[in-house]
Amino acid sequence: MLLRGLTWLIVFQLLGSGLSVLLLPFLPGPIIGMVLLVVFLCLRGETGESLDMAASGLLKYLPLILVPPAVGVMAYGGEIAADATAIMVALLLSFVLTLPLCGWLMQKLIRRQRAMEKSR
Amino acid sequence: MSGTWYEAWQAVAGHPLFLLGLTLGAYQLGLVLYVRTRLAVFHPVLISVAILVLLLSMLGVEYLVYRDAVWPLMILLGPATVALAVPLYMNLRRIRLFFWPVLLTLLLGGCFATIITLLIAWALGAEHMILMTLAPKSVTSPIAMLVAEQIGGIAALAAVFVMFTGVLGPLLGPWLLRICGVTEPAAWGMAMGMTAHAVGTSRAIEEGEEQGAFSALAMSLMGSATAVLLPLAIALWALI
Repeated sequence: MLLRGLTWLIVFQLLGSGLSVLLLPFLPGPIIGMVLLVVFLCLRGETGESLDMAASGLLKYLPLILVPPAVGVMAYGGEIAADATAIMVALLLSFVLTLPLCGWLMQKLIRRQRAMEKSR
Repeated sequence: MSGTWYEAWQAVAGHPLFLLGLTLGAYQLGLVLYVRTRLAVFHPVLISVAILVLLLSMLGVEYLVYRDAVWPLMILLGPATVALAVPLYMNLRRIRLFFWPVLLTLLLGGCFATIITLLIAWALGAEHMILMTLAPKSVTSPIAMLVAEQIGGIAALAAVFVMFTGVLGPLLGPWLLRICGVTEPAAWGMAMGMTAHAVGTSRAIEEGEEQGAFSALAMSLMGSATAVLLPLAIALWALI
C-alpha cells in the first residue's frame, strides 16, 4: 500500500518535471506535480489509503529531509555576512507588519460576512 | 598485523554511510532538545544544521562532498513536495465556511508580505540574489527552496530564512495578535499559517482546534499560491 502511494507521488513528480520542460519553464517540476495531484484529488473526491499513507509518512520526516539542503548555508557565509543587517531587518520587520495585517483583515472580513448573513 | 587508530578512523570517516549517520544523529539530537525545552528557537532543523555545519568544517568536509553523500535524503525532497498536495486537498474542504475572507486575505496579505520584504531588503542595499532568496520566506521550506532557486536565489539560504521566520511565529505572533485585537479564532489561525507556515501552525494547534485548522489551510494556500504566482510574477517583471 505504502509503495503504491509512493509510486503515485513519484509519477506526479516526473509528470511535473516533463511538463516543466515542455510547457512551463518558469515553474519547478515538483510544484507542477503538486498542483496536478491536487487537481487529481479534487476530481477523484478522496485521497485514498495508499496515497494518504505515503504522504503522511513522507511529510512526517520532512524536517529531516530539509536538513541536507539547509546545510548548504555553509557555502554562503560571505553573502550572508555582507547583507546580514538587511536580511535580519527585512525578515523581522516584514513579519511584524504582515502578521497583524493578515489577522486584522481576516477578522474584519469574517465579521462583515456574519453581519451580511444576519441581515439577510 | 592490525591497523593503527588512524587507519580505523579513516575507515569510519571515509565510509559512505558516515555523513548520513552524522545527519541522522544531529537531527535526533535537535529533536530531543526541542521536545525537552519546548522552545521555538530550538527548532530541530536549525539545531541540526548548526551542529552539522560546525562538525563538517571541523572535519574539513566540503558541502559538495556532503551533499553527494546524503543523496538518499536529498532525493526524497521532490516527492515530499508533491505530497504537500494531500494536506492541501484536506484543508481545502474547510475553505467553504469563509471562502471570500480567506481568498481576499490570502491575496492581499500574501502580496503585501512578499512586496514589503523585498522593499525593506532592497532599501537596505541587499543584492539581487539575496532579494530573490528572501521573497518566498513566508512559505513552507520545500516550496520556498524550489521557488528561490527558480527565480535566481539560493535554496540553502531560503531554507534558513524560512526557519528563522517560522521561529518568529510562536515567539512574537500571539503577542502581536493580542495587542492588535485579533480574537476571532479563524483570523488568528489564518495570520499564523500565512506568515509562519508549519511552525506557526503547530503553535496555532495548541491555541485551539479552529485556529489550528485555519492555520493549516492558510499555510497550504500560501505555499501553493506563492509556488505558482511568484515565479510567474518574476518572469513577467523580467519581460518589462
